[in-house]
Amino acid sequence: MNAVAVRRAADVLLRGVGGRAVMLRMPAPASVGDVTEQLGLAVPQFQDVELAPVVLERGSATVRTMLVSANAVNELVGSMGYSASSVLFADAFGVLVDDVLMEVESVADTELGGAAAVYRITLREPVALQV
Amino acid sequence: MQNARDTFYVALRDRLAAVNPARTMVVRSVARPGLLVEENELASANAPADVFRLRWTGLRVDATGALPLVVMNCEIRYATDGNAGNGGMDRGRLLAAMDAELVAAVNAGLQNVVKMSYAALPAVAMGTNVWWGDVAFAAATVNGERLERLATVEVFSFQEAGEL
Repeated sequence: MNAVAVRRAADVLLRGVGGRAVMLRMPAPASVGDVTEQLGLAVPQFQDVELAPVVLERGSATVRTMLVSANAVNELVGSMGYSASSVLFADAFGVLVDDVLMEVESVADTELGGAAAVYRITLREPVALQV
Repeated sequence: MQNARDTFYVALRDRLAAVNPARTMVVRSVARPGLLVEENELASANAPADVFRLRWTGLRVDATGALPLVVMNCEIRYATDGNAGNGGMDRGRLLAAMDAELVAAVNAGLQNVVKMSYAALPAVAMGTNVWWGDVAFAAATVNGERLERLATVEVFSFQEAGEL
Protein backbone atom coordinates (compact mmCIF):
# COMPACT_ATOMS: atom_id res chain seq x y z
CA MET A 1 0.00 0.00 0.00
CA ASN A 2 1.52 3.33 -0.98
CA ALA A 3 1.75 6.42 1.24
CA VAL A 4 -1.13 8.29 -0.44
CA ALA A 5 -3.49 5.37 0.05
CA VAL A 6 -2.44 5.03 3.68
CA ARG A 7 -3.14 8.71 4.35
CA ARG A 8 -6.53 8.48 2.67
CA ALA A 9 -7.35 5.43 4.72
CA ALA A 10 -6.34 7.31 7.88
CA ASP A 11 -8.58 10.23 6.86
CA VAL A 12 -11.52 7.90 6.30
CA LEU A 13 -10.89 6.17 9.61
CA LEU A 14 -10.78 9.45 11.53
CA ARG A 15 -13.93 10.77 9.84
CA GLY A 16 -15.67 7.45 10.37
CA VAL A 17 -15.18 7.52 14.12
CA GLY A 18 -16.62 11.01 14.40
CA GLY A 19 -13.70 13.17 13.34
CA ARG A 20 -14.17 16.84 14.04
CA ALA A 21 -12.36 20.13 13.48
CA VAL A 22 -10.21 22.13 15.89
CA MET A 23 -8.22 25.31 15.40
CA LEU A 24 -4.46 25.56 15.55
CA ARG A 25 -3.46 28.95 16.98
CA MET A 26 -0.34 30.27 15.29
CA PRO A 27 1.46 33.44 16.43
CA ALA A 28 2.61 35.93 13.82
CA PRO A 29 6.38 36.28 13.31
CA ALA A 30 8.15 38.42 15.90
CA SER A 31 9.33 41.93 15.07
CA VAL A 32 13.05 42.19 14.38
CA GLY A 33 14.91 43.97 17.20
CA ASP A 34 11.70 44.77 19.10
CA VAL A 35 12.70 44.76 22.77
CA THR A 36 9.08 45.16 23.91
CA GLU A 37 8.25 41.61 22.76
CA GLN A 38 11.27 40.23 24.61
CA LEU A 39 10.09 42.04 27.76
CA GLY A 40 6.53 40.78 27.48
CA LEU A 41 5.17 44.26 26.76
CA ALA A 42 3.91 43.57 23.24
CA VAL A 43 1.62 40.70 22.31
CA PRO A 44 1.96 39.06 18.90
CA GLN A 45 -0.98 38.73 16.52
CA PHE A 46 -2.49 35.26 16.26
CA GLN A 47 -4.01 33.38 13.38
CA ASP A 48 -6.37 30.43 13.89
CA VAL A 49 -6.21 27.78 11.18
CA GLU A 50 -8.49 24.77 10.92
CA LEU A 51 -7.20 21.29 11.53
CA ALA A 52 -9.53 18.46 10.46
CA PRO A 53 -10.32 15.62 10.78
CA VAL A 54 -9.16 15.05 14.34
CA VAL A 55 -10.26 12.70 17.11
CA LEU A 56 -9.84 13.64 20.75
CA GLU A 57 -9.51 11.27 23.66
CA ARG A 58 -8.97 12.00 27.32
CA GLY A 59 -5.68 10.68 28.66
CA SER A 60 -5.85 11.86 32.27
CA ALA A 61 -7.59 14.63 34.15
CA THR A 62 -5.50 17.33 32.51
CA VAL A 63 -4.16 15.69 29.38
CA ARG A 64 -5.95 14.98 26.12
CA THR A 65 -4.62 13.13 23.14
CA MET A 66 -5.52 14.27 19.66
CA LEU A 67 -5.19 12.11 16.56
CA VAL A 68 -4.97 14.18 13.42
CA SER A 69 -4.75 13.25 9.78
CA ALA A 70 -1.31 13.65 8.21
CA ASN A 71 -3.02 15.04 5.10
CA ALA A 72 -4.41 17.93 7.13
CA VAL A 73 -1.04 18.60 8.75
CA ASN A 74 0.82 18.45 5.45
CA GLU A 75 -1.61 20.92 3.89
CA LEU A 76 -0.90 23.40 6.68
CA VAL A 77 2.86 22.84 6.50
CA GLY A 78 2.76 23.60 2.79
CA SER A 79 0.35 26.53 2.83
CA MET A 80 2.02 28.26 5.78
CA GLY A 81 5.55 27.78 4.45
CA TYR A 82 6.94 25.60 7.21
CA SER A 83 9.80 23.24 6.55
CA ALA A 84 8.38 20.35 8.58
CA SER A 85 5.45 19.38 10.77
CA SER A 86 7.69 19.45 13.85
CA VAL A 87 8.43 23.14 13.22
CA LEU A 88 4.73 23.87 12.73
CA PHE A 89 3.79 22.33 16.08
CA ALA A 90 6.80 23.83 17.88
CA ASP A 91 5.72 27.29 16.70
CA ALA A 92 2.03 26.78 17.51
CA PHE A 93 0.77 28.57 20.61
CA GLY A 94 -1.83 25.89 21.18
CA VAL A 95 -4.91 24.10 19.93
CA LEU A 96 -8.32 25.64 20.36
CA VAL A 97 -10.90 22.98 21.26
CA ASP A 98 -14.42 24.34 21.91
CA ASP A 99 -12.99 27.74 22.88
CA VAL A 100 -10.47 26.19 25.29
CA LEU A 101 -6.83 26.79 24.38
CA MET A 102 -4.69 23.74 25.09
CA GLU A 103 -0.93 23.67 25.10
CA VAL A 104 0.90 21.28 22.78
CA GLU A 105 2.98 19.05 25.01
CA SER A 106 4.36 16.54 22.55
CA VAL A 107 3.90 15.31 19.01
CA ALA A 108 4.49 11.85 17.58
CA ASP A 109 3.56 10.32 14.28
CA THR A 110 2.53 6.88 13.11
CA GLU A 111 4.33 5.94 9.96
CA LEU A 112 2.88 3.51 7.44
CA GLY A 113 4.09 2.88 3.92
CA GLY A 114 7.11 5.10 4.47
CA ALA A 115 5.23 8.26 5.37
CA ALA A 116 3.42 9.71 8.37
CA ALA A 117 -0.25 8.72 8.28
CA VAL A 118 -1.52 10.06 11.60
CA TYR A 119 -0.10 12.48 14.15
CA ARG A 120 -0.68 11.87 17.84
CA ILE A 121 -0.57 15.19 19.69
CA THR A 122 -0.62 15.39 23.47
CA LEU A 123 -2.46 18.48 24.73
CA ARG A 124 -2.53 19.89 28.23
CA GLU A 125 -5.57 21.72 29.54
CA PRO A 126 -5.04 25.18 31.05
CA VAL A 127 -4.56 25.31 34.82
CA ALA A 128 -7.67 27.49 35.14
CA LEU A 129 -9.87 24.56 34.03
CA GLN A 130 -8.27 21.92 36.23
CA VAL A 131 -10.45 20.70 39.07
CA MET B 1 10.70 45.69 40.53
CA GLN B 2 9.70 45.11 36.92
CA ASN B 3 12.05 47.85 35.75
CA ALA B 4 14.94 46.16 37.58
CA ARG B 5 14.06 42.82 35.98
CA ASP B 6 13.86 44.34 32.52
CA THR B 7 17.13 46.22 33.02
CA PHE B 8 18.98 43.14 34.20
CA TYR B 9 17.66 41.08 31.28
CA VAL B 10 18.72 43.65 28.68
CA ALA B 11 22.15 44.07 30.30
CA LEU B 12 22.73 40.32 30.45
CA ARG B 13 21.44 39.81 26.91
CA ASP B 14 23.80 42.45 25.52
CA ARG B 15 26.77 41.11 27.47
CA LEU B 16 26.13 37.51 26.41
CA ALA B 17 25.78 38.65 22.80
CA ALA B 18 29.13 40.45 23.08
CA VAL B 19 30.84 37.39 24.59
CA ASN B 20 29.51 34.98 21.95
CA PRO B 21 27.62 36.63 19.07
CA ALA B 22 27.08 33.20 17.51
CA ARG B 23 24.79 32.08 20.34
CA THR B 24 21.44 32.96 18.87
CA MET B 25 17.97 31.48 18.84
CA VAL B 26 14.98 31.75 16.55
CA VAL B 27 11.76 32.87 18.21
CA ARG B 28 8.74 33.10 15.93
CA SER B 29 10.90 33.23 12.81
CA VAL B 30 13.21 35.96 14.09
CA ALA B 31 16.82 35.39 15.20
CA ARG B 32 17.86 37.05 18.43
CA PRO B 33 20.53 36.58 21.15
CA GLY B 34 20.31 33.27 22.99
CA LEU B 35 18.69 34.48 26.21
CA LEU B 36 14.99 34.61 26.99
CA VAL B 37 12.86 35.37 30.00
CA GLU B 38 10.42 32.49 30.32
CA GLU B 39 7.60 34.57 31.79
CA ASN B 40 7.81 37.01 28.87
CA GLU B 41 7.35 34.38 26.17
CA LEU B 42 4.34 32.39 25.03
CA ALA B 43 3.79 29.46 27.38
CA SER B 44 5.42 26.38 25.93
CA ALA B 45 6.33 22.89 27.06
CA ASN B 46 9.40 23.09 24.86
CA ALA B 47 12.70 23.91 26.65
CA PRO B 48 15.16 24.93 23.93
CA ALA B 49 18.76 23.71 24.25
CA ASP B 50 21.93 25.77 23.83
CA VAL B 51 20.31 28.98 25.02
CA PHE B 52 19.93 30.61 28.42
CA ARG B 53 16.47 30.65 30.01
CA LEU B 54 15.95 33.20 32.75
CA ARG B 55 13.37 32.78 35.50
CA TRP B 56 12.60 35.13 38.39
CA THR B 57 11.99 33.27 41.62
CA GLY B 58 12.73 34.63 45.13
CA LEU B 59 11.87 38.15 46.20
CA ARG B 60 12.70 40.09 49.39
CA VAL B 61 12.04 43.72 50.22
CA ASP B 62 13.93 45.50 53.01
CA ALA B 63 12.01 48.64 53.88
CA THR B 64 14.27 49.92 56.65
CA GLY B 65 16.23 52.39 54.47
CA ALA B 66 15.18 55.64 52.82
CA LEU B 67 14.30 53.64 49.71
CA PRO B 68 13.11 50.02 49.91
CA LEU B 69 15.89 47.62 48.91
CA VAL B 70 14.60 44.88 46.60
CA VAL B 71 16.53 41.61 46.39
CA MET B 72 15.44 39.24 43.62
CA ASN B 73 16.66 35.75 42.81
CA CYS B 74 17.28 35.12 39.17
CA GLU B 75 17.57 31.53 37.98
CA ILE B 76 19.36 30.94 34.70
CA ARG B 77 18.78 27.49 33.22
CA TYR B 78 20.60 26.09 30.25
CA ALA B 79 21.15 22.74 28.64
CA THR B 80 22.89 21.14 25.72
CA ASP B 81 22.62 17.86 23.84
CA GLY B 82 26.03 18.34 22.20
CA ASN B 83 26.42 18.43 18.45
CA ALA B 84 24.61 15.68 16.57
CA GLY B 85 27.57 15.48 14.20
CA ASN B 86 29.78 14.52 17.12
CA GLY B 87 27.30 12.01 18.47
CA GLY B 88 26.74 14.29 21.45
CA MET B 89 30.18 13.45 22.81
CA ASP B 90 31.03 17.15 23.07
CA ARG B 91 28.10 17.99 25.34
CA GLY B 92 30.41 18.45 28.34
CA ARG B 93 32.52 20.91 26.40
CA LEU B 94 29.48 22.82 25.18
CA LEU B 95 28.10 23.08 28.72
CA ALA B 96 31.51 24.30 29.93
CA ALA B 97 31.47 26.93 27.17
CA MET B 98 28.07 28.14 28.36
CA ASP B 99 29.36 28.22 31.96
CA ALA B 100 32.28 30.39 30.81
CA GLU B 101 30.03 32.72 28.82
CA LEU B 102 27.81 33.24 31.84
CA VAL B 103 30.79 33.97 34.10
CA ALA B 104 32.14 36.46 31.56
CA ALA B 105 28.77 38.18 31.27
CA VAL B 106 27.80 38.30 34.94
CA ASN B 107 31.04 38.43 36.93
CA ALA B 108 33.40 40.33 34.66
CA GLY B 109 33.43 44.12 34.55
CA LEU B 110 31.04 46.36 36.41
CA GLN B 111 28.25 44.47 38.09
CA ASN B 112 25.80 47.33 37.89
CA VAL B 113 23.89 49.37 35.32
CA VAL B 114 21.56 52.36 35.47
CA LYS B 115 17.99 51.20 35.98
CA MET B 116 15.86 51.80 32.88
CA SER B 117 12.13 52.01 32.37
CA TYR B 118 10.94 50.28 29.21
CA ALA B 119 7.28 51.16 29.74
CA ALA B 120 7.60 53.66 26.90
CA LEU B 121 10.12 53.71 24.08
CA PRO B 122 12.76 55.01 23.94
CA ALA B 123 13.65 53.63 27.37
CA VAL B 124 14.07 56.21 30.13
CA ALA B 125 17.00 56.18 32.57
CA MET B 126 15.92 56.21 36.19
CA GLY B 127 17.63 57.67 39.24
CA THR B 128 19.16 54.53 40.75
CA ASN B 129 21.16 51.50 39.68
CA VAL B 130 20.55 47.78 39.40
CA TRP B 131 23.44 45.68 40.69
CA TRP B 132 24.09 41.99 41.17
CA GLY B 133 26.34 39.44 42.84
CA ASP B 134 28.47 36.71 41.32
CA VAL B 135 26.80 33.81 39.58
CA ALA B 136 26.50 30.58 41.60
CA PHE B 137 26.38 27.25 39.78
CA ALA B 138 24.49 24.14 40.86
CA ALA B 139 25.76 20.71 39.92
CA ALA B 140 25.14 19.68 36.32
CA THR B 141 22.35 17.15 35.92
CA VAL B 142 21.94 14.47 33.29
CA ASN B 143 18.55 14.11 31.64
CA GLY B 144 18.86 11.40 29.04
CA GLU B 145 21.35 12.63 26.47
CA ARG B 146 20.94 16.20 27.74
CA LEU B 147 23.26 17.96 30.19
CA GLU B 148 21.53 20.67 32.21
CA ARG B 149 22.68 23.33 34.63
CA LEU B 150 20.99 25.81 36.93
CA ALA B 151 22.83 29.00 37.84
CA THR B 152 21.55 31.69 40.18
CA VAL B 153 22.27 35.38 40.54
CA GLU B 154 21.03 37.76 43.23
CA VAL B 155 19.89 41.05 41.72
CA PHE B 156 19.52 44.18 43.86
CA SER B 157 17.77 47.48 43.24
CA PHE B 158 16.12 50.33 45.10
CA GLN B 159 12.40 50.80 44.65
CA GLU B 160 12.03 54.41 43.60
CA ALA B 161 9.07 56.59 44.57
CA GLY B 162 6.07 55.92 42.34
CA GLU B 163 7.66 52.87 40.77
CA LEU B 164 5.62 49.69 40.47
